[in-house]
Amino acid sequence: MDLQTLILKLSAYWASKGCLLEQPWDVEVGAGTMHPATFLRVLGPEPWRAAYVQPSRRPADGRYGQNPFRLVKHEQFQVVMKPAPGNIQELYVESLVALGIDPREHDLRFEEDNWESPTLGAWGVGWQVLLDGMEITQFTYFQQAGGIDLAPITAEITYGLERLTMFLARKESVYDIEWAPGVTYGEVRKQDEYEVSKYGFEVADASLWQTLFEKFEREAGRCLDAGLVLPGYDFALKCSHAFNILDARGAVSATDRVGIIRRVRDLAARCAKAYVASREAQGFPLLPKAAAPPAEYEAEHG
Amino acid sequence: MAEFLFEILAEEIPAGILPGAREDLLSKVSAAFAEARLGGTLSVYSTSRRLALVGEGVADQQPDAETEVTGPPASVGYDADGNPTKAAIGFAKAQGVGVEDLHVATFPKGPYVVAKKVTHGRPAAEVIGEILPAIVSKMTFPRMMRWGDGTPEWIRPVHSVLALLDGLVIPMILFGVESGRTTFGHRTLAPGRIVTMGVPDWFQKLRAAHVEPDLAVRRTRFEESAVALAKEVGGAPAPDPALLDSWAHLVESPCVVRGSFDPTFLELPEEILVTSMREHQKMLPVRAEGSLAPYFLAACDQIGDPKGLIARGNEWVTAARFSDARFFWDEDGKAKLEDRLPALGRLQFQETLGDTLQKTGRIQDLAEKLAARLGLSHLDALLVRAARLMKADLVTDMVREFPDLQGIVGGLYARREGEGEEVWQALYDQYRPSSAEDSTPRGDVGCAVALADRLDTLTGLFGLGLQPTGSKDPYALRRAALGVVKILLDRKWRLDLPAACADAAALHGALPRRKDEVLADLSAFFLERLRFLLEKKGHAPDVVEAVLTTECPDLADAEERVEAVEAMRKEQDFLPLASAFKRMQNILAQSPEAPGDIGEPDPAKMTDDAEKALALDYLQAKGMLDDLVAHRRYKDALSIMASLGPGLDRFFTEVHVMAEDPDVKENRIALLRSMRGQFVRVARFSEIRG
Repeated sequence: MDLQTLILKLSAYWASKGCLLEQPWDVEVGAGTMHPATFLRVLGPEPWRAAYVQPSRRPADGRYGQNPFRLVKHEQFQVVMKPAPGNIQELYVESLVALGIDPREHDLRFEEDNWESPTLGAWGVGWQVLLDGMEITQFTYFQQAGGIDLAPITAEITYGLERLTMFLARKESVYDIEWAPGVTYGEVRKQDEYEVSKYGFEVADASLWQTLFEKFEREAGRCLDAGLVLPGYDFALKCSHAFNILDARGAVSATDRVGIIRRVRDLAARCAKAYVASREAQGFPLLPKAAAPPAEYEAEHG
Repeated sequence: MAEFLFEILAEEIPAGILPGAREDLLSKVSAAFAEARLGGTLSVYSTSRRLALVGEGVADQQPDAETEVTGPPASVGYDADGNPTKAAIGFAKAQGVGVEDLHVATFPKGPYVVAKKVTHGRPAAEVIGEILPAIVSKMTFPRMMRWGDGTPEWIRPVHSVLALLDGLVIPMILFGVESGRTTFGHRTLAPGRIVTMGVPDWFQKLRAAHVEPDLAVRRTRFEESAVALAKEVGGAPAPDPALLDSWAHLVESPCVVRGSFDPTFLELPEEILVTSMREHQKMLPVRAEGSLAPYFLAACDQIGDPKGLIARGNEWVTAARFSDARFFWDEDGKAKLEDRLPALGRLQFQETLGDTLQKTGRIQDLAEKLAARLGLSHLDALLVRAARLMKADLVTDMVREFPDLQGIVGGLYARREGEGEEVWQALYDQYRPSSAEDSTPRGDVGCAVALADRLDTLTGLFGLGLQPTGSKDPYALRRAALGVVKILLDRKWRLDLPAACADAAALHGALPRRKDEVLADLSAFFLERLRFLLEKKGHAPDVVEAVLTTECPDLADAEERVEAVEAMRKEQDFLPLASAFKRMQNILAQSPEAPGDIGEPDPAKMTDDAEKALALDYLQAKGMLDDLVAHRRYKDALSIMASLGPGLDRFFTEVHVMAEDPDVKENRIALLRSMRGQFVRVARFSEIRG
């Protein structure tokens, strides 16, 4: 199986289960979770079901295109369902069937793996899903985001697309998988990996990124002051990316690290609060028309 | 008598919490059944998705319970003719019984009206239907999870609740799920609904649906398959009971597959391959003829792997992990440990205590000072070398990938770079002992740098006021202190520990807390660990206490004293010594020592025979004791002390210490004080229980 067939099959499957097909977010993020379709939509009482591919950047994972498993930029397929349906695990197993995997012939296990993002003030509990010993999916029930306790609870399913394709195609290097029939991942991406690795580790201008961090942070604050949630959140994401670059460049001391993470978390928390307030002011448009938000919800977050 | 069955089916329960959850559920429900007079014997079952209880001999109905309630005095309750008064009628009404159910009973205070009440037992199903939800919904886990609308809170979402008493459903609602007689089979092999009539039926149908509910059966099956599969390739699984336990909790249907890997990976150090298999993949390595064989054993939740798909998948993952390790092994080899030191300057050890390069410098200095105190200065060059390189592996890719292998990786790299045995082993062993059971580093060099590293950490963090509180010990300082104690005892190193701590503290420069307070806290901290280790070795707690309440700057010496007292306490003349010491202690407690008041007893001022005799014995013994204690001949010293026992006894019987004449009194106290001073050079015998 090639990468794009995998994407097509997962998209078709989850669309058939009622997920809206979102598109990748156009700001650099470290994980699909940071896409507003997850981070913001898990907040508040409104139901939400979405699936999308999210290119994710982790400058510190760069290996100059030399390591067969590690990439700065990789693709995640993200599914969020809120509230999580009772049969979400069965739906997930069915998605594997849709990819041509017969679970009766394999070893499929859900092993505890809780997730926490200090920069987002978010955490959840769940599992890593192992197929024949290979971690193919991260499965999380979101409990908190931006410091806010969540209700109802969202299930988040994240497939690592390169890994999954490698595993299904039994390739030993990510660069050997096919993106589309006849075109390898290496042909498309290998030079990119070299360049982004070299940039992150050797070329990035640390003082510029330091300045950018400060300016993005200030701009995020200005947006939020003006009641603009999404622009504010975009700048919070840019801060997070600036931090990742500085970190890869070795320009963040351990002391600074704690402070910087706290500053990004504070922004994320402000965005989360502002988002809930804004949705509430709009009357929670995605709530089923008859149902009003539960009273205790307003008491807690209003 | 009825049979009882209860099963909660949830989404995959973390393996780590299952042992505690089983224990908790079984003990709480058993206790609640006993308290509700239901009796029965319960056993617990579990899988990766279930927690279950099976009971035999449970009552169908609670037995009736009789209670008596005391009312007004008989004289108030009945009139002269024996007819009930208003008071008795009112009391009967309040208790819900008829007047005819009252009788008179005599108590120490006199005769009173008593109502006999019978509480009728309720049907067991009703009672159990209240007990179980109350207990299960209150179970707590290290990380609770909310689901659905965000209200229910347990370890993972609950899907079905099965509760039967003699085949009849016990009605209850747990996390919004109504109880019934249905459950489900294995997630992928037999996911259908199962309707259960009772206990034997439940076992039979679950097993037919590829769920083995008995943990012990799963573990045995895993172990037997692992042994058999390893034997087929001429090997045996590396013994690992903890991993087998964890496997048994991870599945419903135990099955082992064997895979192989490219034998050229065996060129990599065994430690790395084993860690990769065991820690990252939860696989059992296979050993043959004393070394690692190119096979692994993986647990799976299956009934077999006829097409070899599972084995091939695991082989792919293993090869990927090993290639990664080989990549790191080769890449890391491009820079020597020595060349990595500048990078340590960018790796913070602790905010105030500086970076890891600075820590390395302090370890070097401290190791030399320790060597001087221990008479090991001939090792200085090796100590400095080992200390200099010991943290360099923290900035290698291999340790970033395998954090558990810190130290070991440094040792392996140092060996590859041609460092001598003492040095590479010192790096390799530096984090040992990792627990009270673990062994200490192999040589003097390894032990000395490991000691210096820990003393640096402990004095630094205590100096910042970051010592552990309660269960919080984020810097693992208890383990560090245990390592210090264990190394000193194992090596029998005669170290003045407070002095060594002062050396370590001096290297930190100015820290917020006062140095004398830090050193006092640390001494107490080490003594707690010493007490734990000595008791773990089987020494009696009172003997340990007797020694540790004396001055113990040298821990290995303290252990020798404990051993001597322990051996001595078996002798028959020891107990009189202990009781004499106690009397000595009591009398001296009444006369607090004034500063500078440590005069020796003057024989000329002695008046009584018993006093003179004791003084004579003691002054003779004192010279010998000084010599014996100085040479650590504690058993001999104790014999001499014991020989003073009868004289002391006679002294206490015949002599009034608190004499009228202050001179005589002071002199007697001086004698006792001097003796006590000698005794506590070994132990404070008042702590010894008879």
